Amino acid sequence: MAMFLQLLFTGMGIGAVYALVSLGFVLLICAANIVNFAQGDFAMLGAYLLVLGLNVFSLPYPVAIVLTILLMAIFGVLFAGATYWPLRFRGALPVIISTIGAQIFLENIVLYLYGPVPQVLPGVFNSPGFTVGGVFMDSQYLTILATASLLVLLQYLVFEKTLLGKKIQATNQDKEMASLLGIPVVFMILLTFAYSAALGAVAGVLVGPILFVSVGMGGSIALKAFAANIIGGYGSIPGAIVGGLLLGVAETFGAAYISVPYKDAFAFLIVLAFLAVRPQGLFGEKVAEKA
Amino acid sequence: MSLTRRTALVGTALAAATPLRFARAAEATIKIGGIVPLTGPAAETGKFMHNGATMALEEINAKGGVLGKKLEWVVEDDATTNPGAVLGFSRLVSRGDCVAYTGSIRSTQVNAISPDVEKAGKPVIIGGTDPALTHSGNPWFFRTRPNDNYSSKVMANFGIDTLKKKKWAVVYATDAFGTGGMKALVDNLGKLGVKPVLVQGAADQTADFTPVVLAVKQANPDILASYVTFENDVAIFARQLRQLGVTIPWVGSASVTNTATGQLAGPAMWGVYGVTDFDKKASPEAAAYYTAYEKRFHLAADNQSAWIYDGLHILAMAINEAKSTDAQKIRAAIMAIKGYKGTEGTYNFDQNGDGLHGYNIVQNKKGTWAFDKRIDFAS
Repeated sequence: MAMFLQLLFTGMGIGAVYALVSLGFVLLICAANIVNFAQGDFAMLGAYLLVLGLNVFSLPYPVAIVLTILLMAIFGVLFAGATYWPLRFRGALPVIISTIGAQIFLENIVLYLYGPVPQVLPGVFNSPGFTVGGVFMDSQYLTILATASLLVLLQYLVFEKTLLGKKIQATNQDKEMASLLGIPVVFMILLTFAYSAALGAVAGVLVGPILFVSVGMGGSIALKAFAANIIGGYGSIPGAIVGGLLLGVAETFGAAYISVPYKDAFAFLIVLAFLAVRPQGLFGEKVAEKA
Repeated sequence: MSLTRRTALVGTALAAATPLRFARAAEATIKIGGIVPLTGPAAETGKFMHNGATMALEEINAKGGVLGKKLEWVVEDDATTNPGAVLGFSRLVSRGDCVAYTGSIRSTQVNAISPDVEKAGKPVIIGGTDPALTHSGNPWFFRTRPNDNYSSKVMANFGIDTLKKKKWAVVYATDAFGTGGMKALVDNLGKLGVKPVLVQGAADQTADFTPVVLAVKQANPDILASYVTFENDVAIFARQLRQLGVTIPWVGSASVTNTATGQLAGPAMWGVYGVTDFDKKASPEAAAYYTAYEKRFHLAADNQSAWIYDGLHILAMAINEAKSTDAQKIRAAIMAIKGYKGTEGTYNFDQNGDGLHGYNIVQNKKGTWAFDKRIDFAS
């Protein structure tokens, strides 16, 4: 039983990280109808900014985190300006390709500036964690779960209960209609980019102390997050969260009870199964073929 | 024709470039091609390799180079992937001006380039420690690190004879290096009458080792041995081992002793035994190299730079000895090297192309590696 709970705990922790990155994916899919391949690099950049703030500028932890997230939100807008804006009338594919270009560019620029040696990022708490009933509660995994839940709740409140959230939703649903209603569509899209980058940064800052901070850290997370997105339902916000958690738990259990070396395969087997049996995912709506 | 700014610029550039090209031709070098992980998960290895090679080249060229010319190391990125290694190596071969090559420290990448190496027919210095690499009939591989027959033999002997442990758990990476090491270790344990209670593989870059650690706990061993390839994997594994309360003695392959592993894992690695080919206390040559490296790069030297440092010295020595850049002659000269004291040990090349036949045992004492002993086998 202790083993089961231990696996569930770490699986949920990793899953929460997938969920946060997946959420960033979904928001951009909704707002701009693009798949951002550099989503994982938002996490990587966030983690490096925190390393920079803590180790180079010796800022206090809370200040460094707030600064990191703010800077990443600004970066999200710049990112939109560079990859999305010039190509916005050319359809989704050119933008997707330009995000792949951005991914290569960002990873190599960090490699050039920071070098290849992984960096150590201290956790939010000094204590590594505690044991309850034979289950080790890693303090960082607890932080991840708490932060992810809080963010999801906050996002729900903003999206459903505020005018700003409703405007963003309206923009996502129909840009033309929204702009006829006087909603500043461009501002809403840029805001979504900023939020998506900030979410990525939160994921990076949370996972950095566990996986260490390296140039390639975003790549595998983003791949799993995208898989989570398909499982949950392409473009579905609750789907991103549930899909991420499900994937994290499934791969941890698959590794423990079936085979460790094929851990990564489970994630993609589940995706294949969903694509075959329920292509719209858990929360997705069936999209009727347009005449 | 009016003199526009562009033609003027082009003219100036051409005029500037011409003498340069002549100067280059006069200063022709003898070239060694090298594939190096400049990007990808092993990019830190690439940096160490570059440092070691830089030191070796400076020393070689200060002493007059090879055959009266300067030795040059031209590199291609292998991106830490097998396709990258194959592509990088074929780029080097297609240059047509390399007299020998250096390969990867990763066995899986050495394996990937093996067919092309046979076709190229020139000596390649390698650092991958999978025994099969030099035992499968490719005459062009020369290894400047001891292979894992020896590391596993040292691990098995040390664990059983010195630590008196009989219940072994073996954790390995499922790549060529890890699998090769695991097989050799299981084999050598078998020879000493021990069958491991757990043999557990894990893929490279596994973000979470909880399932592995729980498998170790369930098997209830009294000693843990590991062949894990990447430093960040070792560090994550070490931390989760300690968090989940596994405190049995741990003997790891060289990656546990790498500088980056220690920096990442911190106290989680304290007390761990490592079987390593390079240790500063193993010989005066190793000590001198360590000091010079630290002075130059402000980093602790480890096997990732030492093997290429030795490798380039050995190639330079062999080319000078052969008095030729002919591949067969260089090969014969390398095979004839006996008793060369390098930083990784004393080189005596055997018929397979393995230069070294022993390992050091070290222990992590609160973050610094204490030299325990060196065990050498007669090839």
